[in-house]
Amino acid sequence: MKRYGEHRFPGKLFVVEGIDGSGKSTQLMLLHQWLQAEGYGVIFSEWNSSPLVRDTTRRGKKKQMLTPATFSLLHATDFADRMEHNILPLLKAGAVVLCDRYIYTAFARDVVRGMDRKWVRELYSFAVKPTAAFYFRVPLEVAMKRILLGRSGVKFYEAGMDLGLNEDPEQSFHIFQGKILEEYESMIAEFDLTTVDATLPIEEQQAQMRQIVKAKLTQAKRLRVAP
Amino acid sequence: MRETYSVILPKMGLGELTGRLIVIEGTDGVGRSTQIKLLRPWLEQQGHAVLDTGIKRSQLAARGIQQAKEGHTLGRITLSLFYATDFADRLENEIVPALRAGFVVLTDRYIYSLMARAIVRGLDPAWLHKVHSFALKPDATFYLRIGVDDLIPRVVFSTGFDYWESGMDLYPSDDMYESFRRYQTALLAQFDAMAQEYDFTVIDASPDIHTVFERLRTGISRVLKGEPREPLFAVPAPEVAVHPTDNGEVAAAGKTKRPAAEK
Repeated sequence: MKRYGEHRFPGKLFVVEGIDGSGKSTQLMLLHQWLQAEGYGVIFSEWNSSPLVRDTTRRGKKKQMLTPATFSLLHATDFADRMEHNILPLLKAGAVVLCDRYIYTAFARDVVRGMDRKWVRELYSFAVKPTAAFYFRVPLEVAMKRILLGRSGVKFYEAGMDLGLNEDPEQSFHIFQGKILEEYESMIAEFDLTTVDATLPIEEQQAQMRQIVKAKLTQAKRLRVAP
Repeated sequence: MRETYSVILPKMGLGELTGRLIVIEGTDGVGRSTQIKLLRPWLEQQGHAVLDTGIKRSQLAARGIQQAKEGHTLGRITLSLFYATDFADRLENEIVPALRAGFVVLTDRYIYSLMARAIVRGLDPAWLHKVHSFALKPDATFYLRIGVDDLIPRVVFSTGFDYWESGMDLYPSDDMYESFRRYQTALLAQFDAMAQEYDFTVIDASPDIHTVFERLRTGISRVLKGEPREPLFAVPAPEVAVHPTDNGEVAAAGKTKRPAAEK
């Protein structure tokens, strides 16, 4: 069982991280389009999307039966399934794998929920170290404005309502995201995250991202699958 | 005060867990559930309130694990974490509340089975140890020990060979008997290796049901009276079993040293 940082594969792994409303998914979508147009074999994998675990997660969330421990372990199970059946084999095959959220999301959320910081890191030590991990840094108020304008409401766990921070979902969400933001900030140095200023115009952020990705791909020309 | 193997989950309140946690461990088909069926009324007759629980019985994850095992895309890390989820759910929602209420909790298997099965499947023992380190240390673990030759007739004449209990995911073969033998031999070696590290009380499970029951009662009575536990049988030196790791390499069981459980 290989540990974080020990894997060596021909493929490349790029991940995006950041609080809700940081714009990371939009940026990853734009990167995806570009890489495809450039002829790379690109695969996209999203946090919390394993078909194997979906029913259990849905049930746990719907009935509000998840504790910090089971929330953490269930998301790790989901991640393990995608790692074992999707991400690893594709990296071995030389693909460019794009992940919307990665282990750092778990590190931030689970620690805010009260799980032991070292334990959560150990839990995910089977993960492949990304070629680059982009952290979309945004002030809390900016992200809140983007989120709350675009949605009718926030869900129970999304707002951290299980933590009993505040009875009002919007207030709870605000406090919860603020704590997650602090965790992200402390991980920049720990995991060498590539910080992108998410208040810049979308085009500018994308240009920065492409430049970094391109530099990592020049050493891997053979990944190109189409002319 | 009650302890865990290292990590403490939020809101555990370890100081209030006054009940007794008794683990019955052992491999597939050794007779754990038969013994628990006998132990429960025996304990209740003495006035103890009993909760019995076991692997894959959680409200949260039992159904999901069953569905996942029926498919053919279940990875080894995934399976292990799914079981850890099931365990955490039962720990927090069944075991801890029962201990808080002063129950005797009888659990059919514990983290030791989860770790043994995963180690045989090539996962890193140190990683498994840390992942499961939020588990409460039990008051006693009774390990029903049996040799593979004594185990086989029991399984044949009760449930027959099961796909997972025969390690068919690990040793694909037309011959389920051979797979079962190889898998259970490797598993027994892991249990034996854990016996000392986790302070198991070893009970020879090869005699008839009533003899084993008698020995379990003696052991459990001691625990409930707070008398010192002594192993009823010495553990034989661990056999060295060979199992493949996830890289297809071959590693010897017990070769990788697990970090010792904190006493």
